Amino acid sequence: MHEFSFQDDILPLKDKLFRLALRITMDRAEAEDVVEEAMVRVWEKRESYSNYDSVEAFCLVVTKNLALDMSQKKDAQNLSLDESMAESEMDESDPYHQLANNEKLKLIHRLINELPERQRLVMQLRDIEGESYKKIALVMNITEAQVKIDIFRARQKVKQRFLEIDGYGL
Amino acid sequence: MDYDYIDRLLERYWKCETSLKEESELRTFFSKSDMPKRFLPYKDLFVYQQIQKTVGLGSDFDVRVLSKIEPPVVKAKRLTMFVRIKPFLRAAAAVALIVLCGNITERSYFADDKLDYNYKDYKDTFHDPEVAYKKVSSALMMLSEEIKKSKSQHFPDSLYQNDLDSVCTK
Repeated sequence: MHEFSFQDDILPLKDKLFRLALRITMDRAEAEDVVEEAMVRVWEKRESYSNYDSVEAFCLVVTKNLALDMSQKKDAQNLSLDESMAESEMDESDPYHQLANNEKLKLIHRLINELPERQRLVMQLRDIEGESYKKIALVMNITEAQVKIDIFRARQKVKQRFLEIDGYGL
Repeated sequence: MDYDYIDRLLERYWKCETSLKEESELRTFFSKSDMPKRFLPYKDLFVYQQIQKTVGLGSDFDVRVLSKIEPPVVKAKRLTMFVRIKPFLRAAAAVALIVLCGNITERSYFADDKLDYNYKDYKDTFHDPEVAYKKVSSALMMLSEEIKKSKSQHFPDSLYQNDLDSVCTK
């Protein structure tokens, strides 16, 4: 087993982990905290990652679980999803939202974030990160067949709703 | 450009039959500005995927997480011999001070009582040698008698009593 280096093996994953956490928490600050915590945990347990093919899959799993925990805690605090989403949409100075200053892109962003959690994450990992079905199955702890079904549903739903709304808009 | 190929790819993309490479080809195709009108509705869906991939964390995050990962540096301190025995020096100084004070007080109290080991300088305290001799011999006699008395009393009382009894019956 090769010697681990935090700077070479874990730190370069920060953006990918951040994007995944952001898809779950929908909040930049929270996602950042999640990634930080996840990286520290992965580093502390670097000896036990052998269950996963790569340290990247291990990082993704830890990040996903921490982010889900955090969003569950947030739900427990009686903060409704609509409220937090409205809040995040208000924050236009956020660079994350500046990226989507185009109305159509904004719409797609909203449509994806409105998907059920699993479809949302699977779509993030496949269409944005470009991960293989096998890796996604490992990270999400579901079968590859299930991954394909989720991606299929997510793509269909986003396409359908986007064309619908965009068609009316034109 | 083979648009039929793109048509086919797109068709398979919606059915989740495309490989990662083919999906990447689609993203590249849709990032171009000129394309037949029939593809335009889908353009933003793929553009969104590419834009989202650029979302990430700044370098301040690196600094923060690295400060949590790297263990606090313990600097080796070079100890000189003097620094090492410093505590003992202190103790020794305290003992020396006490001894010195003791000596000074002792000397100031008993400064006059000097022991004189020079026998030649001794002076006689008598005038008549015969009187002196008698005094000394009577003193020695008293001493020898006291010693004798203590010797006879040294026997256990019961044993001494038995001896007396045997003498009386005779």
